[in-house]
Amino acid sequence: MVAPEVTLTHLNRADGSATYTHNGYAIIGAVNGPIEVQRRDEQPEEATLEVNVRPSAGVGTPRERHLETLLYNTLRSIILTRLIPRTLVQITLQVRSLPEEDTSAGVNTSLTLLPHLLHTAFLSLLSASIPLSTTLTSVLVAFPSSTTKSSTPLLTPTANELLRAKPIRSTHVFAFSGDRRLLLNESDGKFSYEEWEEACEMAEEICCKEEDQGGISLGESMEVDGAVQSQNLEKWLREVVTRKVEYEQRWKNAT
Amino acid sequence: MATAASAPPPALTFPRPIFAAVSPHPFLQAHLSADKSAIRANGRAAHEFRTPGVNTGSLTHCNGSAVVRLGNTSVVCGVRAEILREEDTPGTSAPAAVDASGEVDDDEINEEGEDEIADLRLLVPNIELSTGSTPAHIPGNAPSTAQQSLITRIRTLLHSTQLLRARDLRITHTPPTNASDPDAAPESELKGYWVLYLDVFFLSLDGCAFDAAWLSILAALKHTRLPRAYFDDEYEGILCSDDPAEAASLNLRGLPVPSSFAVFEGRGEGEGEKGSDWVLSDPDAFEEGVCREIVTITVDQGTIRRVEKSGGGVVGRETMKTLVKRAVERWGVVEKATHGRA
Repeated sequence: MVAPEVTLTHLNRADGSATYTHNGYAIIGAVNGPIEVQRRDEQPEEATLEVNVRPSAGVGTPRERHLETLLYNTLRSIILTRLIPRTLVQITLQVRSLPEEDTSAGVNTSLTLLPHLLHTAFLSLLSASIPLSTTLTSVLVAFPSSTTKSSTPLLTPTANELLRAKPIRSTHVFAFSGDRRLLLNESDGKFSYEEWEEACEMAEEICCKEEDQGGISLGESMEVDGAVQSQNLEKWLREVVTRKVEYEQRWKNAT
Repeated sequence: MATAASAPPPALTFPRPIFAAVSPHPFLQAHLSADKSAIRANGRAAHEFRTPGVNTGSLTHCNGSAVVRLGNTSVVCGVRAEILREEDTPGTSAPAAVDASGEVDDDEINEEGEDEIADLRLLVPNIELSTGSTPAHIPGNAPSTAQQSLITRIRTLLHSTQLLRARDLRITHTPPTNASDPDAAPESELKGYWVLYLDVFFLSLDGCAFDAAWLSILAALKHTRLPRAYFDDEYEGILCSDDPAEAASLNLRGLPVPSSFAVFEGRGEGEGEKGSDWVLSDPDAFEEGVCREIVTITVDQGTIRRVEKSGGGVVGRETMKTLVKRAVERWGVVEKATHGRA
């Protein structure tokens, strides 16, 4: 698996922004906040959250509204909304491009998009310095139908891999917080509790695996430019931010 | 706010409904953490679901209909069937290929042939809230985010469970003679599809909108009878038979039943302290307003068909196991209710 590519704070008019590219999915996220809130949406004890998802083509449909609801529920549980009461945090996510095989892969396209949207939203929030209680990482797990020969579960498959593994029996999206709590789960298809548990364990492994434990690692710790690539998504997230902070402080550190 | 819950001064007392309206969270927590009989504000135990009431066939001008009640949530669903002519479908669907799979389609799940229901949008669910059904709904506006999200969830579940068989919705025709080769047996050809409009109307909404809407759709589809449609060679169009004896029911695949759970996060005595958590089955509107984390598990007999969970991190793997068990138990109850009177 290739680690996602991220550019942080590249839009200079938004309070925070991130562009995220992974497996052919490209999403631009922008966060404005805390800003003034409309009177009718104002909440006396906490911040109001607004999530807008814009598709790559056309205007938003009920599908985007559903994705917004999921993002809203998840982000509301990690943003410390009580620290910034009577304000608005506005998150806008624009899907820039999807992989070509996205619609023909035979799985629910909202599920394949959801982990990427979550990552983009979280990175944009970080970039905007919105108070957060924990980190967030998300992953997609797909189980191919057992009749086909390759019945091993696919972890963060590309659209092409899904297409080749067709028919897919079940797909699962998991999101974990930094302290290993399961924040979001969307599972679709036909499966038993044991399979769900297996998928959940695999996802937790990828999202927040400890350094020195065995098991599946992300990208088998590729050596890129001498630096060891991230082992899990949580570490990858921290590396992305560290790199950005180091870059911004290059003058301070050099002198 | 917390002071009202823990130790209100003796002079300041509220009647029950005022306490509930002023500070809903401590109100529910006071109920749940009562020593002897921990019971929810609506009189149910934490694990208790509401008994579903299902009544089918109450609407006259529908192909199928059902009224479902879950406590104070009551929903009407009407199924109307309309004909989509084959020449009106987008040309890309390759009618020859569709027809071929129609011949092969046996009782086993034919995954390849099922795409047409999703591709041609043969199922059109819609949700409407009646005026006054819930205080959150302002009549006269465009469908709210919650409504649109609900429709998406229903559409996704309809397609992912493959509840309907494409064969039931196809209208085929076998000409008396084979035009190309008079000696060979005539081949049946596809002339059109039935499109099912599933309209769900909430008379009143007191929590668990998704469960109620889905149950009403399920009961209405079970009750749906489509008239026999045939292609008339002389009229060169599709006609429907007037004889009710010829009408056919839909052959549904399984009976997926969703069960929703809300997680109530208790607050500790001190500031920032965490109290214990409760998982409430089948929450009502008051509880949904207080709880943030909602879990919906859709089960068909023993297998899980869909899990939706968002809003918090209380339910982990261990809790999910008990929830799945609760959902499977609930499946048995609902299965009886839909079969009992339908």
